[in-house]
Amino acid sequence: MAKNVSEKIDELKSGVEWFYSDDFKLEEASEKYKALTTLAKEIETDLNDLKNEIKVIEEDFSK
Amino acid sequence: MENNPQQVYTVTDFQAVCNQILETAFTGVIVEGEVASYKVNQGKFVFFDLKDDNASVGCFMMLFAQRFPLEDGMRVRVRAVPKLTNWGKFSLTVQQVQPVGEGSLKKSFEMLKKKLAVEGLFDAAKKRPLPEKILKIGVISSTQAAGYADFCKILNERWGGLTVLTAHTQVQGMAAADQIIKALKYFNEHGEVDIIAVIRGGGSADDLAVFNDEALVRAIAASKIPVITGIGHEVDESLCDLAADIVASTPSNAAQMLTRDRREVIASIKADVKRINNLLNTKIDELTEVNRGEITRIAQEIYHKIELLGTEVSSQIKILAQLNPENVLARGYALVRGDVVVGNDIEIETNKHFVMANVKAIKEK
Repeated sequence: MAKNVSEKIDELKSGVEWFYSDDFKLEEASEKYKALTTLAKEIETDLNDLKNEIKVIEEDFSK
Repeated sequence: MENNPQQVYTVTDFQAVCNQILETAFTGVIVEGEVASYKVNQGKFVFFDLKDDNASVGCFMMLFAQRFPLEDGMRVRVRAVPKLTNWGKFSLTVQQVQPVGEGSLKKSFEMLKKKLAVEGLFDAAKKRPLPEKILKIGVISSTQAAGYADFCKILNERWGGLTVLTAHTQVQGMAAADQIIKALKYFNEHGEVDIIAVIRGGGSADDLAVFNDEALVRAIAASKIPVITGIGHEVDESLCDLAADIVASTPSNAAQMLTRDRREVIASIKADVKRINNLLNTKIDELTEVNRGEITRIAQEIYHKIELLGTEVSSQIKILAQLNPENVLARGYALVRGDVVVGNDIEIETNKHFVMANVKAIKEK
């Protein structure tokens, strides 16, 4: 199932945290950095494209 | 009388017909005036006179229908049905009453605020925070109101992917409170939204009076779903604001509080990526520096060893030089070759010559 933008942002956050954690390995860093850069671009596109759905409820509250 | 066959009513019928005519002519008439002789009988029946400079009319209402505190001297607007009572008195049966004018509204506001505060409706401990993830927002507002348009505009500018369900209600006037209460009930019964936003743009104190309606304030305080209010301008404070979980100063501010700004999020993501890039470069520089230091240290060690070896070789060379027979001869010594026996020929080597000699005699030293 495709991830929504919030899930992608969470993924990016944890990816960024890895670079500051004790798990950091220089050998893996380059690949991870490339993946995060791609993810960041994806999020930017998603955020710019996302639209809200605004619906007016049919119920008549004056009755 | 016989020549004029007019209908003859009993008193009861006449009173009933009058009431029918009054009801037809004045369905829910709205009358404005000043309250006088306000009293509550038996804890449930409210009586007061509504008057102006030239006239006065008696009013009756049930206490539960009175949603704003009243006292003599207050200016109010009532929605009522005119009625001729069994005792022939003309009165208004009040369905709704609302203070009007800044002074009356303020007085009523303070009285109700005090009453509801004592009941704990505004307690800070009861306030719920904004839900962490907001995907569905229930909005209660008039879809024609400028405040609602501002709310939607800011919401759309800042974030996307949200579902906004709008309950269209009046947001001012005597019917508004009940409509908003129904909308609150609707959202609470359906339970599909994460938060309810009660929205209304700025207006006069009279326009905003509905948000000090006791029943509405109670409905907001009782909502199972968190409620945010964005009513009026920054300076306006209503009892609905005090009862809500979160208060925004305006409809636009409510939209800001409910959403993150996509531009800020994008900027923050870009900053994160840049920071990682810088971090990586720094780490690579640090490692390179460590390697350079190691190489320099090893080179220095090698130079030092070579130097030590050089010193050792020099001293060996010196020792060797001292042992060189040429040097001994140079100091004046001579080297004798051959058997030193009387009569034998021997060779004597000096610093400068080879001397051929014959041993003539040998003496003990």
